Amino acid sequence: MADESVVVRADESAAVLEDINFYYTQMIDNIADYAVMRLDNDGVIRNWHAGAQQLTQYAAQEIIGRPVAVFYTAEDVASGLVETDLHAAAKGGRHAAAGWRLRKDGTRFWASAVFTALHDLAGDAWGYGMVVRDLTHAREQELTLHGLEQLVDSIADYQVIRLDRDGRVCSWNPGAQKLTGYAAEEVLGHHVSMFYTDDDARAGVLQQELADAVRDGSTETEGWRIRKDGRRFWANVILSPIRDEQGELTGFVKVARDLTERREQERLVKQQGDEILELSTPVIQVWDKVLILPLIGTLDSGRAARLTESLLARIAADQAEVVILDISGVPQIDSGVAQHLLETVEAARLMGTDSILSGVRPDTAQSIVHLGIELGGLRSRTSLKDALQLALRLIEARAGSGNGAGDGADVRA
Amino acid sequence: MTITADNPPAELLAVTTVTIGAESDLLRVRSTMRAYARQAGLGLTATTKVVTAGSELARNILRYATGGQGVATVQEAASGQKTGVQAVFADRGPGIADLEQAMRSGFSTAGGLGLGLPGSRRLVDEFAIDSAPGLGTRVTICQWNR
Amino acid sequence: MRMGQDLLVTLHGDLDDRTVESIEQNVTSEVARTRARGTLIDVSGLDVVDSFVAQVLARLVRMIRLLGAEAAIVGIRPAVAITLVELGISMPDVTTALNAEQGMARLRRMRADGMRIDHDNHC
Repeated sequence: MADESVVVRADESAAVLEDINFYYTQMIDNIADYAVMRLDNDGVIRNWHAGAQQLTQYAAQEIIGRPVAVFYTAEDVASGLVETDLHAAAKGGRHAAAGWRLRKDGTRFWASAVFTALHDLAGDAWGYGMVVRDLTHAREQELTLHGLEQLVDSIADYQVIRLDRDGRVCSWNPGAQKLTGYAAEEVLGHHVSMFYTDDDARAGVLQQELADAVRDGSTETEGWRIRKDGRRFWANVILSPIRDEQGELTGFVKVARDLTERREQERLVKQQGDEILELSTPVIQVWDKVLILPLIGTLDSGRAARLTESLLARIAADQAEVVILDISGVPQIDSGVAQHLLETVEAARLMGTDSILSGVRPDTAQSIVHLGIELGGLRSRTSLKDALQLALRLIEARAGSGNGAGDGADVRA
Repeated sequence: MTITADNPPAELLAVTTVTIGAESDLLRVRSTMRAYARQAGLGLTATTKVVTAGSELARNILRYATGGQGVATVQEAASGQKTGVQAVFADRGPGIADLEQAMRSGFSTAGGLGLGLPGSRRLVDEFAIDSAPGLGTRVTICQWNR
Repeated sequence: MRMGQDLLVTLHGDLDDRTVESIEQNVTSEVARTRARGTLIDVSGLDVVDSFVAQVLARLVRMIRLLGAEAAIVGIRPAVAITLVELGISMPDVTTALNAEQGMARLRRMRADGMRIDHDNHC
């Protein structure tokens, strides 16, 4: 808060000061999104206003005269953080801090606080000004975004990329490179139709898919795509529109995987008339604590048992905390498949792991309910993307509680 | 009365008999079964399942057989290309009056665990039970290396 | 063994009625004496968990909870997990974790949630 020097005549000073006081008070009273308060030299709160009450829930009469330490967590008070903040402000004139603070009901909020050392007209220390903002929401969004970016970066078996509104590639990930053979610099800024076959590009297939995604909220399609070396691969593609807070379309998320092998297998299976697919289905690690088990084809007891074994072994080896069971490749859900799924989920739970079902299509949802299958507390999502986001939230929830003080220390460099 | 799930194995090879009369015998039953399972090349899960089933059946003998006495006979088994482990749990106890019921009821939640027969049956590839009041009980289980 | 505010109980090898009784006595008196807020029961050394052992575990957890502490079973091996599910004993009310580290985090979370509930009741 910059102090403007006011030069007045001695006899007018009292009245002027009163005016200034009146205007400042009015100004501060009208600030609703920030808490602005004055602390005395010992850090005791000396004034209050509506914005501060809104943020911290304390009414003026119950907070004026109490130390600013009431807003700090017990751990922070014990470690002397209050003194550190005040001292830093006194020394440097201005001090910015961020960390968890407490409201009256004990709930936490992520605060951005700026302390200013105040001086009276004689230049002596006159306490501190403190402006506090609640940035909990912004921080959550930042962490989620950061986490999602890390997540996407570590997915090596699925292509997870962003397109702008017109379909140009604006992000790339290791999975996309593995799938198509292109490195990031070769594709960024280019239109996604570069991966489509000439026939499809001519027929405007891509434009149709983008339009469908905008209209339906998400589309899932399969088709041939072209790798850098010219070879074709059969892709399963999920396209979802991204919107900003106003609901305006800002781009798309595209998740794709290579189902060439599955398609080939299905062709063979149809030829042989044999239902059992003996694929060794890999368990995919997408993050250091999240595993995906894509279930493809039909599931007989033997195969289901082997899948469960490999999944649990991976949970132990990777110390995974969340497992996503993706059933988008299972043509028909029946009681048998559901039974195997539920047993796998239960066994994973015994190892402390949470499970999420993904790739639930509308017909799958109908089958499950019609068959009277009870999924219990098992969470399910239609898209892998949603399941990944949920997985991330679960991981954060596991890591977050009781770590408030720790997080504060990280940010306060 | 007999309830049989599958045919008995074609050849019976090495055999070990464990007398069941005390808690410490359960340990011997488990380690014997584990040894045979390893020899037959069973994987970790298949081994754990058959040893657990054996532990359940052996404990039933301790708990419910007359004088808590019985015998577990563990053997290598082979059938065509498959190798496996077979175990027979026999006692001269009171026998099971209602075998159908026993094979249906799972573990009761009210503290008492009953015989846990359906559970044990699910763990193994082959399960056969012979029991009648006054004639004792004989359970044969078999687990194969796939 | 103490780990912060938590107790760690490690079960070995073979449990018979006598050892179970002494384990129960030891654990309950330790929980009460140290006023531990949480107990981890480590079963990573058990390669077989039959219905008897499962019952012992469930009972230990109940006793610990009656003493006002929280309990979690850690280290159930994959083969054991599969076996328990097929046996039909999956102990749904028992908290589980992969290892001691995740178990302690879980206990911390449960305490934080519990405290919030207490706090709400007081306010």
